[in-house]
Amino acid sequence: MNLLGIGLWTLTALAPPPTGGLTGSKLAFDRDGEPVVLVGGDIRTGVGTRIAGGIIEIRGSRITRVAPAGAPIPAGARRIDLAGKIVTPGLIAVDSAMGLVEIEAEISTHDDSASEGDSVRAAFDAATAVNADSALLPVNAMEGITSAAVTPQGGLISGQVAWIDLVAGDHRDIVAGRGVAMRAHLGAVVGSRALALAQLREVFDDAVFFRRNRGAYDRNQSRALGAHRLDLEALAPVVDGRMPLVVSADRASDLLALAELAASSKLRVVAIGGAQAWKVAASLARADVTVVVQPSQNLPSSLDEMGARLDNAALLVQAGVHVGIAVLGDAHNARNVTQEAGIAVANGMPADAALAALTSELARAYGVDAHYGSISAGKVANLVVWDGDPFELSQRPSQVWIRGRSIALRSRQTELRDRYLRRIGKRPRSGLRP
Amino acid sequence: MRLATYGAAMRVAPSATGARGRPRWLRTIALSLGLLTGCASAPRTEPTRARTPAPTSSAAKQTAHGDDAGPVLVLRGARVMTATGVIYDAADVVIRGKSIAAVGVGLPVPTGAAVLELKGRTITPGLVDTHSHLGVYPAPSWEGNSDGNEAVAPTTAQVRAADAYWPQDPQIDRARAGGVTTMQILPGSANLIGGRAVTVKTYLDVRGIEDARFRGAPEGLKMACGENPKRVYGEKGGPSTRMGNVAGYRTAFQKAREYRRSWESYRDKIAKWTTKRAAGTVDDEARGKDDGPPDPPARDLAAETLASVLEGDILVHNHCYRADEMLGMLALADEFGFQIRSFHHAVEAYKIADHLASAGVAASVWADWWGFKAEALDGIRENAAMVAAAGGRAIIHSDSALGIQRLAQEASKAMWAGRRVGLGITDDEALRWITANPAWALGVEDRIGTIAPGKHADLAIWDGDPFSVYSRVVHVFIEGRLVYDHAEPIPGTDFELGYVEGSR
Repeated sequence: MNLLGIGLWTLTALAPPPTGGLTGSKLAFDRDGEPVVLVGGDIRTGVGTRIAGGIIEIRGSRITRVAPAGAPIPAGARRIDLAGKIVTPGLIAVDSAMGLVEIEAEISTHDDSASEGDSVRAAFDAATAVNADSALLPVNAMEGITSAAVTPQGGLISGQVAWIDLVAGDHRDIVAGRGVAMRAHLGAVVGSRALALAQLREVFDDAVFFRRNRGAYDRNQSRALGAHRLDLEALAPVVDGRMPLVVSADRASDLLALAELAASSKLRVVAIGGAQAWKVAASLARADVTVVVQPSQNLPSSLDEMGARLDNAALLVQAGVHVGIAVLGDAHNARNVTQEAGIAVANGMPADAALAALTSELARAYGVDAHYGSISAGKVANLVVWDGDPFELSQRPSQVWIRGRSIALRSRQTELRDRYLRRIGKRPRSGLRP
Repeated sequence: MRLATYGAAMRVAPSATGARGRPRWLRTIALSLGLLTGCASAPRTEPTRARTPAPTSSAAKQTAHGDDAGPVLVLRGARVMTATGVIYDAADVVIRGKSIAAVGVGLPVPTGAAVLELKGRTITPGLVDTHSHLGVYPAPSWEGNSDGNEAVAPTTAQVRAADAYWPQDPQIDRARAGGVTTMQILPGSANLIGGRAVTVKTYLDVRGIEDARFRGAPEGLKMACGENPKRVYGEKGGPSTRMGNVAGYRTAFQKAREYRRSWESYRDKIAKWTTKRAAGTVDDEARGKDDGPPDPPARDLAAETLASVLEGDILVHNHCYRADEMLGMLALADEFGFQIRSFHHAVEAYKIADHLASAGVAASVWADWWGFKAEALDGIRENAAMVAAAGGRAIIHSDSALGIQRLAQEASKAMWAGRRVGLGITDDEALRWITANPAWALGVEDRIGTIAPGKHADLAIWDGDPFSVYSRVVHVFIEGRLVYDHAEPIPGTDFELGYVEGSR
């Protein structure tokens, strides 16, 4: 089945224009429910605070109350004892191909890129291509990834990022919000980074022009524009600053260009990669550019990454930059983001800042922090329960809650494992964890 | 010399009088490279017995047999994970020259020895990676530097990774800083038979492959199953299927058999001729053409490589993901009479762990890579643990310039995955996945891979549990020489000079 074709058809014929972020206090999947309280855990809220032995009350898909130890519990609430456990917000995988690419080497499993040709593909909406049956979803969900910013690739402007929760199999509601961000690229995608930057500026100007002169455009009385109608329409919330622009950039000069763009317009900019961000940290902080890094990446794999260092995240946080952490380019192992956070901490990043970099900072950067990224009343009840330090290699979640439900900690991988454990004469333990 | 200053930051405390009245060796000299390798005049003394002998490993009793000349360094008081089944909470490792002389608790400090106090640190063997392309796929990943795949024909047994190893690859510095002291550098996996691999150490001051080579280590042969060769050659004359892949291996090994036969035949002839000549039946002065020595067969470098495999002199390292293909390769190896030393990548090793154990073939695997191609779809976290639980030899390899920097973390993930399903993977076993087992796979298990007397003094010293995400390597020794000190910036390769100040 050609999912991409259906996606474009849906876009032109049916879909409402993307709104740029998750607006409104409720989302399509939201539901009510009887109260559930998680009691006694060491709550790490994701915004730098901790509540020892606190109470998290969930109703339906939302957290309805977070209270300190000893606070009253509603009568009749289902009570789950988390004494001795750590509770964190659900972890977020950004810039991910999850649900869009099943197997990198198999082109037939790819839905992450609009056709070659046009370099501006702003109307391309990843939401319509997400595969809720992807094997990547349970594999990552059982290790604490509860949401993903599902991101198209390719071209100068790749298209729109969809926000999903990792509710495997929920074809109807897996997408929490479409068009939460726009993905773009700097670097030499169109011959030279100078040209890429000029084209980006031009297309943003044209998006503004298009909106102001829509009538003239429709009468065919407009000057030539740098992108197609649908793409220019899709860019409107970006130039308004309602939809963040997510751009991969490693080189200091590219990062400075992004900072300048952010400072001189309404654009909200998120940089992905940021190998040399430490060199221009003050500018990034001033322009409020969030930088999403993969802390282990310390190799000079290209000239843009000369000087890549393990303490990049620590230096950025010190300089007041908003920092996110991700496993970049490997959606299959988005789950290893806890190890990446641990590496950042080992190299100087404060632990609470590292947890924020997996949760609240990412939600903020993608404009979904009204719903995601922290443990507080009103947020979607995406929670992870740990027996110990979430960043330690010994740890895997003992419970994962997504939209207020505790998910089964099973995946294709655990099925394979259990089948062959039996074959080598080892009975899988009951209540197996990853 | 570079490390004269490099090592100066190491803490060398004078050893205090022990509770049991051990001699006091006050040494205030800075521990420097000069001491470790250049100080031939350092007095060599037999170890003094502690008055109350402390428990030592049986290995430590062999101290007196240590015949490796050179200065003596005692690494004292660290947690010592030997990868021999013994983990000491606090023990000493005595290095004499290039080798480990003793390991045990409360060992006496030989006269003239330098002492490095390592209380709170952990010592492991230097880490060993069976699968790396550092130097042949360097950073930056420029075309001009890309020398890993001789992708011009599906069988290139004549090429050698050693001929392309670029010692200025900055990734080598990072690997060393991660505690890796030995690594096998392989050709890539485009080809059915990619060529000869070379085992190197991460020595300093390497200017060419002969400076890096692990002397006396056997060479490896890189073979690749599955998708990569058929993808590369599918439209370049084949193979385009797994059928074609296997036909390619069989053709190449058949040719090697025949090549070996031609040399055996030649050796027979030359032996007969030599006998004849010795018996005086060949008249050198007056002999006719027919009486001359037989001509040797034409040398064929590719067939020669494979003939050496058949002789067991070159060890086979076989990139192979799927269980069914690994079983097929075991059968093929039987057919032609060679051994596969280790499967690499082996994401489905857990499905045939019993076969691998009984065939004595190691499985070099990742902790958690999966899904990037069809043949990697069935990867699971418990792979290494299930291989070990079946009695097989598990190895965590990197195939990555990032992964090689944290092999212990990768082993840790795989260890914990095993423990969570009730497979009793000990710390020592998991450590063996990145030390003793890869050393075996590379055919150098008698020289490296454990902390035991007589082994090379290749050691990694950690500021915490190597299996913790927060622990870092603080010192690395190769053959008794300090080659990395966390307190000092990495000097940087030639390539990085002028681009970046010391970074890590």
